[in-house]
Amino acid sequence: MGRFEYRQAAEIRDAVARHAVRYLFIGKSGAILLGFPDTTQDADLFVEKSPVNGDRLIPSLREIGFDLTDDQASDIRSGKDFVQLKNGPFDLNLIFAPDGIETFASAWERRVDVDGFHVCSIDDIIASKQSANRQRDRESLPRLISFRDWLKKNQA
Amino acid sequence: MGTDSSANPDAISRPSTDDVRAWEIEFAAAARRPLDQRMKYAFIRTYKPVLDDAPFRSFASMRDYREWCQLYLPDWLGYGTV
Repeated sequence: MGRFEYRQAAEIRDAVARHAVRYLFIGKSGAILLGFPDTTQDADLFVEKSPVNGDRLIPSLREIGFDLTDDQASDIRSGKDFVQLKNGPFDLNLIFAPDGIETFASAWERRVDVDGFHVCSIDDIIASKQSANRQRDRESLPRLISFRDWLKKNQA
Repeated sequence: MGTDSSANPDAISRPSTDDVRAWEIEFAAAARRPLDQRMKYAFIRTYKPVLDDAPFRSFASMRDYREWCQLYLPDWLGYGTV
């Protein structure tokens, strides 16, 4: 398994677009797309939890090289809250109910589009990390909050 | 990093002015780089024990996932809830 690269991000973007999957990049991978200079190991997708969206997501994942069994596909289709994929070209987390965000629809309204990638707003990324309250989130939050402040100042 | 969370250990630590100033220089530098270059620097690959040892995991709820992280992952990975 390799590192997540722009080419692979573009493959995800294009595959999910072909199948009309509703998704948002979230977590540190989302922040990086918004310009946050930091490191991470995996990509996190906040996926709308609905049978139709689940059905669309499975072929997208297979097209980009995730080797899903029928049982695994069924777990994704049924919208388990969290799915961790390490059976493809890079590590990918599918999050159907992230902490700190009420609904996909509300996050979608606040999204930012970067080069065709749909990304959660920096406020939602921070809210999710604050709510998860893991050690790794607490370590990254001060810098992430400073990035939000900088971003807002420089976008204004 | 010059942070201060001594008053309330549950609070997110507050960075020093010097930290913020240094970070803002990094943010501005990153903003000048194209996205593909930013991603090249951002995504790294190292082995994470336990976490990387199964090709697929699914959890019915985020609570189940957090509990699993707390129970099975080494503390130093930082996935445990504070």
